[in-house]
Amino acid sequence: MISVNNLYHSYSNDEKYAVKNVSFEIKEGEIFGFLGPSGAGKSTTQAILTGLLQLQKGEVTVAGYDIKHIKNEMFNKIGMSFEQSNVYSKMTGKENLAFYRKLFDVETRDPQELLDLVGLGNKGDIKAGEYSKGMKHRLTFARSMINNPILWFLDEPTTGLDPAIASEIKVIIREQNKKGVTVFLTTHNMYIADELCDRVGFIVDGELKLIDSPKNLKLQYGEKFVEVEYLDGKEIKKESLSFVKKDDIERLKEILDNFEIQTMHTKEATLEEIFIKVTGRELV
Amino acid sequence: MKLWYSFVKELQLSSKSWYFYIEIGMAVILLFILIFVVPKETDNKTDEYLYAGLLPSEYVDLIYRGILEEEDEDEKYERVEIKVGGDVFGADLFETDMQNIYFVDDREAVLRLAEEDKEIGVEIMVGKEGELVYKYYLQGYESTRLRNLYMMLHNNIVNYKLIDRHMDRQTVINIEDNPVILNNRENIVPVFLTYNGSLMGLFIIAAYVFLDKKEGLIQAYAVTASKVWQYLMSKVGVLIVTTMVTSLIIVIPVIGLKANYLLLILLVVITGFTFSSLGLVLTTYYKDMMQSFGAFYILIMIMIIPNVSYFTPGWEPGWLKWIPTYHLLESYKEVVSGGSDAGYVINVSAGFFVAGLLLFLFANYRFKKTLII
Repeated sequence: MISVNNLYHSYSNDEKYAVKNVSFEIKEGEIFGFLGPSGAGKSTTQAILTGLLQLQKGEVTVAGYDIKHIKNEMFNKIGMSFEQSNVYSKMTGKENLAFYRKLFDVETRDPQELLDLVGLGNKGDIKAGEYSKGMKHRLTFARSMINNPILWFLDEPTTGLDPAIASEIKVIIREQNKKGVTVFLTTHNMYIADELCDRVGFIVDGELKLIDSPKNLKLQYGEKFVEVEYLDGKEIKKESLSFVKKDDIERLKEILDNFEIQTMHTKEATLEEIFIKVTGRELV
Repeated sequence: MKLWYSFVKELQLSSKSWYFYIEIGMAVILLFILIFVVPKETDNKTDEYLYAGLLPSEYVDLIYRGILEEEDEDEKYERVEIKVGGDVFGADLFETDMQNIYFVDDREAVLRLAEEDKEIGVEIMVGKEGELVYKYYLQGYESTRLRNLYMMLHNNIVNYKLIDRHMDRQTVINIEDNPVILNNRENIVPVFLTYNGSLMGLFIIAAYVFLDKKEGLIQAYAVTASKVWQYLMSKVGVLIVTTMVTSLIIVIPVIGLKANYLLLILLVVITGFTFSSLGLVLTTYYKDMMQSFGAFYILIMIMIIPNVSYFTPGWEPGWLKWIPTYHLLESYKEVVSGGSDAGYVINVSAGFFVAGLLLFLFANYRFKKTLII
């Protein structure tokens, strides 16, 4: 669905590349997470893929279209949900969607149905300017589905949303994906990436460091731990012990034999920890 | 169809914005000023205040008779009162086609009128040889030419009557067969159409676009199956409609049926397109209105220069014709006067259309290149 080969981009048209030598492929029906800290090159790559930035160097095809010679019909197949809400504040939620559906040449979804889907069903007649930040974000998200896209670009889709709404958005993404929609998810939130993505790519300083599934990454780079809290005399102590290291296993046995256990949890390495391990950078 | 949907949406949005009503409001205010403040014809008569109280009565009778017979419009004078500060003075008023001549009863009135009301005051006395002597009370800023003229008018060698006889023998030929003559109100209309209509388009469209840029709406539009030029054209369309409405608000009541409305519509549409396109190009080089303000200010100030020539026909250097608004002013003048030189207006419109088309294509190219900047 997406093929990127040796992609470079420089905002200053010199050797200072915001994206350098990035290559990857995304299969149809896949949820691909593009992960990295702010300024890593995520948005630049996504902007090139969606035609918002002109391709300077490299080869990119999106939904079968060569990005070097973008055809407008490509946009009938893709949907884009922006990180910053960008809706007409003087139009109601329903008017916003009703206007955008006229800009596509394919069958579009009913605005009310989309508003219901994102929990704005009873707010459709209110001007978007009066919406809260989260509501505007949901409207932007709903708009990106108006043309039934087969390829869906989502930029930080749950940012600024309360946990309940964020959870609903994740459900919608999964449901769309089940219908065959390919998802390109840009985020610095490793938890949502871990939950949703089939594969993730780590990008730092414009370079793609690695691509794999969250499961493989955890197997390859992660280490299973057990966190145990026990009573030593009158004092509660806490230790984190590896399932792999021999000394830690012996220590765990010793604790179980000699002390009163308060709590005990197994713990996997998070994507964030793996990201830090692989790139040496934090996801700020 | 997408262009139409975008245009309708832009029209709805602009009708909900302040800019739209500011433009309409300004047109209505200007219309009121034109109708209720600007006189249709300028009163070119000057007021002159003379004191002849020291002259013998036969001299006064002679002067009165001279004015009545040769200059006064109804050949009779009337008794009037003149207020100077808080005081009232009596005077005899003669009305000629060029002047209102007041013969005041009190010398103090002449002095105070000159001093307090900056009027021309003249004291007429008898000289040593029995001749009339005119003493002018001027303000001090009058030109040497005017002073010389006053001195020349009252000498014995070349007096006014002799000059008048020479003037009658001169032949004056008009270069233009039918020169366009507009009254004061009509004369201001081309200026309004040029500046508040066409030229303001470039400023207002920038305001609309910067607002969209700030809200990220251009990006949202760019990822639809609609084209960027359709987005730009929908904005231009709204500006043309607004310009048309504000122009007609002024032209219909002030000019009436005299104007050539077909040419007016052509000119408003084309110049609205051109200046809006210029505004679009400028917006691609700046992030917001604040950053672009300097560029817009300089551009608008340059475009305003031909206005000076418009109201001072004697000043028309060749380089002025390189400023597009010069031709726009002249074209609007031709249009509102219902003049016969339609060819000039059509040529100017064609020039603006070509320029507008090139600017629009460039704006489209620049917008596509700077969508996320």
